[in-house]
Amino acid sequence: MSNVGTSVPRTDGPSKVVGTAKYVDDLSMPGMLHGATLRSPVARGILKRIVKDPAFDWTGITFVDATDVPVNVVALIQDDQPVLASHEIRHRYEPLALIACDDALRLARAARHVTFEIEPLPAIFDPRASFERREIVAPPDNVFGRYRITKGDAEAALASCEVVVSGTYSVHHQEQLYIEPQGVIAWFDERGAHVHGSIQCPYYVQKGVKKTFVLTESDVDVVQTVTGGGFGGKEEYPTVISLHALLLAKKSRRPVKMIYDRQEDIEATTKRHPAEIGIVTGCDRDGTLRAISIHVLMDGGAYVTLTPVVLSRGILHAAGAYRWEHVLAEAVAVATNTPPNGAFRGFGAPQTIWAVERHLDKVARQLGMDPLVLKSNNVLRVGDTTATSQTLKESVGIGECIEKARTASDWDRKRALGPVVQGRKARGIGACVFMHGAGFTGSGERRLKGRVALDLLLGGRVRIRTASTDIGQGTETVFSQIAADALGLPMSQVEFLQPSTARVPDSGPTVASRTVMVVGSIVEAAARELKERIDAEQAATGLDRRRAMDALVFRAMGTAEHVYDTPRDLEWDDATYRGDAYPVYGWGCDIAEVEVDLDTFETKVLGFWAAADVGKAIHPTHCKGQIEGGTLQAIGWALHEQIVWKDGAILNGRMTNYIVPTSLDAPPFTTLLVEAPYSRGPGGGAKGIGELPMDGGAPAIAAAIEHATGISMDNLPCLPEDLFERARKGRAA
Amino acid sequence: MKLFTYDAVSSLPAALAARRGTFFAGGTTLVDLMKLEVLTPERLVDIGSLPLTKIEATPARLRIEALARMADVAASHDVLRNYPVVAQALLRSASPQIRNMATIGGNLMQRTRCSYFRSVAEPCNKRVPGSGCGAFEGDNRSHALFGGGPACVATHASDLAVALVALDATLTLTSAKGSRDVPLAEFYLLPGSSPSTENVLAPGELITAVNATGGPRAARSLYVKVRDRASFEFALVSVAAALALEGGMVKDVRLAAGGVGTKPWRLAAAESALRGQPATLAAFEGAAKRSLEGAMPLSGNGFKTSLLERTVVKTLARLGGVS
Repeated sequence: MSNVGTSVPRTDGPSKVVGTAKYVDDLSMPGMLHGATLRSPVARGILKRIVKDPAFDWTGITFVDATDVPVNVVALIQDDQPVLASHEIRHRYEPLALIACDDALRLARAARHVTFEIEPLPAIFDPRASFERREIVAPPDNVFGRYRITKGDAEAALASCEVVVSGTYSVHHQEQLYIEPQGVIAWFDERGAHVHGSIQCPYYVQKGVKKTFVLTESDVDVVQTVTGGGFGGKEEYPTVISLHALLLAKKSRRPVKMIYDRQEDIEATTKRHPAEIGIVTGCDRDGTLRAISIHVLMDGGAYVTLTPVVLSRGILHAAGAYRWEHVLAEAVAVATNTPPNGAFRGFGAPQTIWAVERHLDKVARQLGMDPLVLKSNNVLRVGDTTATSQTLKESVGIGECIEKARTASDWDRKRALGPVVQGRKARGIGACVFMHGAGFTGSGERRLKGRVALDLLLGGRVRIRTASTDIGQGTETVFSQIAADALGLPMSQVEFLQPSTARVPDSGPTVASRTVMVVGSIVEAAARELKERIDAEQAATGLDRRRAMDALVFRAMGTAEHVYDTPRDLEWDDATYRGDAYPVYGWGCDIAEVEVDLDTFETKVLGFWAAADVGKAIHPTHCKGQIEGGTLQAIGWALHEQIVWKDGAILNGRMTNYIVPTSLDAPPFTTLLVEAPYSRGPGGGAKGIGELPMDGGAPAIAAAIEHATGISMDNLPCLPEDLFERARKGRAA
Repeated sequence: MKLFTYDAVSSLPAALAARRGTFFAGGTTLVDLMKLEVLTPERLVDIGSLPLTKIEATPARLRIEALARMADVAASHDVLRNYPVVAQALLRSASPQIRNMATIGGNLMQRTRCSYFRSVAEPCNKRVPGSGCGAFEGDNRSHALFGGGPACVATHASDLAVALVALDATLTLTSAKGSRDVPLAEFYLLPGSSPSTENVLAPGELITAVNATGGPRAARSLYVKVRDRASFEFALVSVAAALALEGGMVKDVRLAAGGVGTKPWRLAAAESALRGQPATLAAFEGAAKRSLEGAMPLSGNGFKTSLLERTVVKTLARLGGVS
């Protein structure tokens, strides 16, 4: 019996198809109120007074401001963000007050009868101005995080290299645009606080609720309802909306539902961090890469949220998938007066990989080399050391990725042909080579100690209890496959318990490409332990399998709870940022072929070849789905998506004007799975791939545009008018 | 959304007898704007079930009744064969779901996509006369090159209207007093100092049909639309062209542009430059230059001038079979 490696029907599929799956907005509680957030109309200022219109009838409307908040911080990395601003306002849309009412229409009317007296302060939107401290918008120095990685002596090496190339690259905000907007229902009862909602990480929400309401673990139950996507956007933000709903629930003594509409969701919640990256590299004339120096400046937005961690992952990926003897990488993240930037698939890596890949295309141009040959010649292999001096010991499938993508896309012929101009259109092909650390950085897993429990149930069934959420990516199905195979049971005998902090152990957050690889391996270990118990029971009693399982349940021996067995040979030093940054890496080679209209400079992606080393594809269809979905998100970032800002406000906060690709914009995908198994991965070697596919799309598209037109884009997005402007300037020069 | 009353009428006389109210058919624009509280009608008069859905597209004559759905018109073989620019403009509009609901009359009555018009928090002379214009000094990437002024620079959003201007189409307008035919190019008004008045419809008057004459020019027509993604997006720039050739010479031509004007913009200077010229790339390029006459770029939409010029060339080159 083998479920692993087979694309079994997804376990959550039928209920979603027939509409019985309950998303948070499908739920209702007796006596429930609707809640709304009143937000700052300015980007920076001092809140002087909140004015409730005395002419309005406030009967039946619950009103909450900062004076109602027991401990006014959103507990995350640093407790700098208030649940409701009481004095200083740091960004447009910052929550200032909350209202609730049983009638949603009256609620909307009431919202218009609250005004804020605010003394405006000068705001900063340019991270460079923040870095130079032209205003202090986040005391003491506007800095949210700093990292430095060194290997060898990059400065000295660069001085003696035959070919030195430098460049500056930048990337912009991106909205996650999950299908289901943020939403929760929250209430208090005799057992404590309850939150049900669209949540990636129930234990993060629990942590925030404990802190703000001064409660203990057993007082707070956070339940994940069926969730329509997250992409990181539901990692930290659900804590904020949950705290808001609970504040209203506490004051009104009623359950409160808060659901953002699309505009509020786009305006108020987190985005991908913009960044500016300067790179200087040195290499030999034959293209052997020697030294790299990297400087990253990242825009954190108004509060710390997860910025230091995003910056960390960004700098750890900044040298790309290559062998360098000498590395100097410095990164700093600063505050600006926009809504806080936060987690988004890739988590800092797409930003720095954009830069290093564009840079290596530039190096190849200067050397007159095929860029894929340059990249392939220098790519990391087993035995090489990374920028953090980590020696790669296993599961490096990048060579096979490059070969597969190269052959399938007919790279050699198409690249050698040069740009193909037919009539008024030009075709070109470009490539990106990349890696993405799977699981938490450094000692993260060791500190976290993720746990999973498996229960035998009467009737020969097994139940998985984990805090790893299925937000559409298939956790439920894949965990069931892993557990079923480890136990020797059919999938139909395995259940997945709805995550609830009262009923599932803390497996850690559903982030960092760690769900399948890390938590899946805990599921597998717990399942193996149960299997051993069942085998022993059968051997001792001669019972058949099902009776043996029931016997264990009766003797209260039916539950196996496992803690992650952190690989002991990993060494990481947080102080020097040196060592085994990640237990293992996912690897990828993306090749894009585009056609640029030479009249309008519209870019059409004709084909996309994505080769990814996933270790082992537990569910090949889901795995390819992740790769194609992530790549399309990257194509959107490269060609369509752009937040339009004005004084810290978002001018295009709707799906009609925040442009994401449609199915017609999606290219034909050729997705090539490479399996270089990871010795500690579940199901025979699976690695995390949730974020990997976000990394390669944008650089591959830009490289293809360059091949087709000679226009080299160092910043995103590649809109038609930007391409034309570059072409015009190129002709003028 | 503000409260409103709703009445459905089942005959044209009943609709025309409705003394006050806002006509409602497919609802694809109106409901959206009501949710945003950009429009707050007190009464909706639903005309969606009136029998005004006939599509006639012979080689000689085009007549589309106002409540025909966009999808049905786009799918008509006669329209595609005899008036391809109409079918193409419709198919490049909106999404399949919207095209299934939206009507031809409603399409021509749709409001601008200007983000200042669509946001009640921003000033907008079109929405609140006298409140000012946020776009003139603000973000105006999508705004007009032609026909605007300090009061308003919002573009007209309809693709269909651009195609119909290239066919010299007329509209049949019907009121309780009777019917009149108005050239589409004269139906829309420039914003001037009162951008809230967008057309010549009298109160209680209804568009009941779209008319155009066929012929070789209409049969050799094309709609090219440049936008930020392949579907479900309005034009940055679009060009509708209808070209009559005779012995390699341009006998007659119509050119209209979308995404660049406060109303569908006829490129008359480019047309005259092209008439009687050989159908060559050089002639097309020369005419395209003339299409920019009168353009007044704003701070953020300067790229549209050259984009328009290049799109005119592209459209004519494809229609004329040259490259």
